[in-house]
Amino acid sequence: MNGDDFTAKLMNDMDPKLLDFVKTKVNSFIKWDLIRFFYENPNTTDSAENVARYAGRNVVAVEPELKELVTSNVMEERQIDDLTVYSLASDEGMRKLIDEFILACEDRHFRVKAVYHIIRGMR
Amino acid sequence: MERVKTGIKGLDEILHGGLLPQTANLVEGAPGTGKSTLGMQFIYNGIVKYNEPGLIITFEEFPQQYYRDAMAFGWDFRKLEAEGKLRVIMTSPEVTKVDLETVGGLIETMANEMGARRVLVDSLSHFERLTDDPIELRSIQYSLINALKREGLTSILTKETTALLGEMPSDESVAFVADSYILLRYVEIESMIQKALLVLKLRGSNHDKDIRRFLIGPEGIEIQAKFEGREGIMSGSPHRTMAESFVEAFVKG
Repeated sequence: MNGDDFTAKLMNDMDPKLLDFVKTKVNSFIKWDLIRFFYENPNTTDSAENVARYAGRNVVAVEPELKELVTSNVMEERQIDDLTVYSLASDEGMRKLIDEFILACEDRHFRVKAVYHIIRGMR
Repeated sequence: MERVKTGIKGLDEILHGGLLPQTANLVEGAPGTGKSTLGMQFIYNGIVKYNEPGLIITFEEFPQQYYRDAMAFGWDFRKLEAEGKLRVIMTSPEVTKVDLETVGGLIETMANEMGARRVLVDSLSHFERLTDDPIELRSIQYSLINALKREGLTSILTKETTALLGEMPSDESVAFVADSYILLRYVEIESMIQKALLVLKLRGSNHDKDIRRFLIGPEGIEIQAKFEGREGIMSGSPHRTMAESFVEAFVKG
């Protein structure tokens, strides 16, 4: 086994559903920040501009990430009149997965692995 | 007459039993006077003492701050949310304005699903950024209040004032729109800052007119006795009444 294979094996050593969540749903640092923000403030419903402001980021960067989170069923999008607003998915299973992800992030080793997968995904 | 009890020690007595159902009740004060605490206590007591689920609608202030502040008084908001008795909703005035005018909007849906009876809007001051026109602002405030009443909710709406002591700027059009008006003030007495509460208005009911001292203790707001022997409390710098000064100078001395 070469060094790269060994690293990959080590970094894949986490709960398979969390590994899938990191690889397919989190997959960027902005999404990670957004997921954490909505986990901490679970009944937030607001426009992309305001969510970006709360997250301390630019709306140009945040809006596409919010849309991808909607596509991956982490977030929900609603149209109120001419306003598009975003909130956390109400699906129980998804909420549980998000809870598990945030709790897992308290472990430094898990965070290192998650960062590895996000950086690899961004290449 | 049916009342919506706040459950706050002393406040229901001042209100002659509590707030009136499905009314909008304005609580105004400077930063740190306890507006949000009073509102949170109203919501918490509604859930645990009177089985009335509640909503907290917040602008700018993150819900996690409410969870933390509430926990300091032993009010476990996260648990109440998990039990479906409370929702702390963070949104913006522009979204709220549109949402409340929409049939099947988010707040309407949430209030119906939970059977919410009470709501805290913290704070109304944020609606001021929607317009510079005072007439339009009053119309927006009317719309908000009417929408909350339409949902059958008894609301507490907080409003910030900038002056810490003394007379407040009197551009208070919302005070005319609201059904009751409660003022929280800082008062300086003998180099100590105390807090005062006054119910200025309670539409449709009598109420006590005393200016009361209040504390924010380990279990929230506690209303205490009125300020005896002092005048000019709401100026922020009260002085002794003539009778009190006489007693101080000639009797106690």
